[in-house]
Amino acid sequence: MASGDEKDRGNLVARSVAPEDSRRHFLKTVGIGGIGVGLAAVVAAPAAAYVTYPLGHATVTGANGFVPVGKSTSFKEGQPLKVDVFADKRDAWNRILQVKVGSVWIIRKGGKLRAFSSVCPHLGCAFDYEPEVKEFKCPCHNAFYTIDGQVAGGPAPRPMDELELEEKDGKVAVHYQRFRTGTATKEVV
Amino acid sequence: MKALVDWLDDRASIRAVWSWFADQELPGGARLRYSFGSVLVFLVVQQAVLGILLASYYSPSATDAWASVEYLNDQVTAGWFLRGLHHHGSSAVVVLTVLHILQTALAGAYRKPRELNWLSGLVMAAPVLGFALTGYLLPWDQKGYWATQVATSILGSMPGGAPLRVLLQGGTECGNLTLTRFFTLHVFVLPIALFGLLAVHIALVKKHGVTPPELPKAELELKKQRYFPSQLFWDVLLMALTSCVLVMLTFSTHGATLYAPAQPASNFQARPEWYFLPLFQLLKYFEGPTQFIGTAVIPGALAAFLAGLPWIDRAQSRKMGERMPVVAGLAVIMSGIIVLITMALHDDAKDLKYQKAVIAQVHEGMRARELAKAGVLPQGGDAVFENDPQVAARRLFKDSCENCHTLDDSGGEEAPNLTQFKDREWLSAVIRNPHDKRFFGGTKTHKEMEPYAAKDLPDAKLKPLVEYLYSIQGDGLGPVDAVLAAQGQKLFADDVDCNTCHEVKPGETSDGPNLFHAASKEWIARVIRDSSAPDLFGKVASMPSFKRKLSDDDISKLAELIASQTTNKGGS
Repeated sequence: MASGDEKDRGNLVARSVAPEDSRRHFLKTVGIGGIGVGLAAVVAAPAAAYVTYPLGHATVTGANGFVPVGKSTSFKEGQPLKVDVFADKRDAWNRILQVKVGSVWIIRKGGKLRAFSSVCPHLGCAFDYEPEVKEFKCPCHNAFYTIDGQVAGGPAPRPMDELELEEKDGKVAVHYQRFRTGTATKEVV
Repeated sequence: MKALVDWLDDRASIRAVWSWFADQELPGGARLRYSFGSVLVFLVVQQAVLGILLASYYSPSATDAWASVEYLNDQVTAGWFLRGLHHHGSSAVVVLTVLHILQTALAGAYRKPRELNWLSGLVMAAPVLGFALTGYLLPWDQKGYWATQVATSILGSMPGGAPLRVLLQGGTECGNLTLTRFFTLHVFVLPIALFGLLAVHIALVKKHGVTPPELPKAELELKKQRYFPSQLFWDVLLMALTSCVLVMLTFSTHGATLYAPAQPASNFQARPEWYFLPLFQLLKYFEGPTQFIGTAVIPGALAAFLAGLPWIDRAQSRKMGERMPVVAGLAVIMSGIIVLITMALHDDAKDLKYQKAVIAQVHEGMRARELAKAGVLPQGGDAVFENDPQVAARRLFKDSCENCHTLDDSGGEEAPNLTQFKDREWLSAVIRNPHDKRFFGGTKTHKEMEPYAAKDLPDAKLKPLVEYLYSIQGDGLGPVDAVLAAQGQKLFADDVDCNTCHEVKPGETSDGPNLFHAASKEWIARVIRDSSAPDLFGKVASMPSFKRKLSDDDISKLAELIASQTTNKGGS
C-alpha cells in the first residue's frame, strides 16, 4: 500500500490523518475491547471469589459442642445464675485458647435445669435478671421476659433463646450458640 | 447516548480527554517496541489492584503477618492465585522495565528534547526496586526475614548508614515496627511516589511523542498512525502475552512460596529475589572494607552512566552505528548483569549443602502451613509449631516425666532413658547391662534381671535375639529380618531362657514384663496409667500411676511420642 507514484502518496498521507480504514479500525477496536475484558477478568474473576469468601465460610467460630459451665449444685431453685462460657475460638487465622465467647443464664425450676443465651433476641444487648420482680429485663429497649423465658412486655420479637443443656455426673454443660436477632423465629448464625 | 456524552462533555470535556489519549499521532506508524511503557502501566495498575486485594486479608504485625498470609494463601478461595500473580508480577515489572530502558536507549530516545522523559523514567526504577525490597518482608516468613536482615545490614554498613538502618527498621532489630514501616512504604509511600512520577513521565511522553525510526520525513508522514486504535492494539496484544506468561507461571509454581514463620534464632540460607542476584554476587567479591564498592560504587556508577546518557551521547544522529560508545556501554552492563546472575545460580547449584538446606527449608515451610490450618496461637511467630502434637507431647513429657526419664539429652536418671526407646540398639544395650544408669540402674526396685555379657551371650546370638524381640514388640516398626527373628525365637525359649521371666503371649504373666507389643502405643499408655499390672512390671513397679494425674488424651499423646522413638532414626 506504500507503493505508487507521488500523487498516490499524497492521497495516502491525506487519508492517514483522516480516520483509518474503517473495517480495520473496527476490528482493532473490537480486539482491544475483547482483550481488555479478558485482562480484567484474569484478576476480577478470582477476586470475586476471594472477596466473598466469608459469605460461604465460617471465619469466626468457637464453642462447638457442649461446654462445661459449672456443678449442678451451684444452681438453686428459682434463682437464675449467669455463667460465662469459655471456649477455644477460631478467628480467621488465629486459634485462641479458652476465651469468653458469651454468657448463659441457668435457671432451675421444678428441679429441672434450663439454659438461655444472655443475648436479647430483640437487638443483641445483654439482659439482666431483676430478682424483685422475678423477670429478665433488657436495659437497651426495655424488653421483659418471665423466668421461663417468655416475652412479658416490650419490643422482643420472640422468647429468650434456649440452649441445649446436658447434666452428667453432677456437672452442667451447655451447647452455646448465637442466633439472629430481630426476627420472630430462632435461627442459628 | 449522544445526549449523555454531550452532557458530560459540557461539564468534564470528556471528548478533549479522549482525544488527548487517543489521537496522538505516531510518525512512521504503530510499533510493538513502543508498547513496553504501556505494558508497564498495565502491570503497575494490576499490581496495585492485587495489592489492595491482598491487604484486605493481611495483618502487618510480627505476630499476625505470617498466619494471615498463610490464611489468605491456603484457605481463602483463589488467594494463592492472586498472591502468586502479585509475586510474579513484580518480576514482570522488573523485566519490562529493563526492556523499556534498553529499547529507549538503543533507539536514542533519551536525546534532546526528551532528556526529562529519560530521567523521570530512570528515577522510577528506584520505587520499583523499593517495592521489591519492602514486599519481600511482608509475609514475615524465614526467607523475607533473613533477606531483609541482609539488606538492612548492607545499609547499616555504609558510611553514615547505621542511624538510617535504625530509622528504616524502627529500632536496632527487626520487629513489629520494621513490618509496619515496610508496610507503610509498600502500600502508601512507594505507590504515591511511583504514580506521581508516572504522571510526569506520561505527560512528557505525550508532549514530545514517540521517537520515530530514522526514516525520511516523507515516509514517516506517509506511515503515520494514531495511538487509538493502532498502537493501543499492539499494546493490549503485548499485555495479553505478558498476562498469559504470568498466569502460566503462577499455575506452574502454585503461586508464591511461603516458608516457615520468621524465627530470629534459627539460621536460614536466604537468597534475594533473582533480580537482586547481581548485587548479591558482587558482595562475594567485595568483602570487609571494600564492601561499599559492591554495594555503592558499582551500582552508583551504573546509575550515573544511564542518567548521563543524554550528555555522554555526542553523536550527530540517532543511528546506532554512530553511537557505538553508548551501545558498547549498554552491552557491557547487560552482559555483566547476566554473567553475575548466572554465576550466583551456578554457585548455588553446585553447593550441595545449600541445596540440602533449601529442601529442608521448603519442607519446614510446608509443615508449618499444614499445622496452620488448625489456627495459629495469638503469640504468633513460630507458635504455629505448637499445633504439632509432638510439641504438645514434649511439653507434657517435660512436666510429668522428665524428673525421672530422659528424652533427647534432657531429664533425670531415676528411670530408663527413653531416647530411641526399644530400637535395636536400645534392646541390645539393655540386655547387655540392664543395671546401667541408662536403663534400670537408677531405679530402686528393678534389679532382678542379670546382665548378659559377651562371653555368655556372644554378639552372634544377641543379634537374632534382638531381631526377634523387635519383631514382636509392635506393628508398623518397619522391615524385620524374618530368618534372623526365627533364630532369635529359638534362643529366647531354649538357649538363653528369657521365657523363664518374660512371656510373649498377650495377657500372660511372669516375673518380668510380658514382651508382646511392648513398644506399642497401647503398651506404653498402660505403663503410664499403671505399671503395676501383673503382665507389666507387677510388684516391682516403681513408677507412679498417672491414670488420675493425666487425661486419657494426654496419656495417648505421651505414648505416641515415646512409641515414635522406636522407629526414630537418630535424634529428633
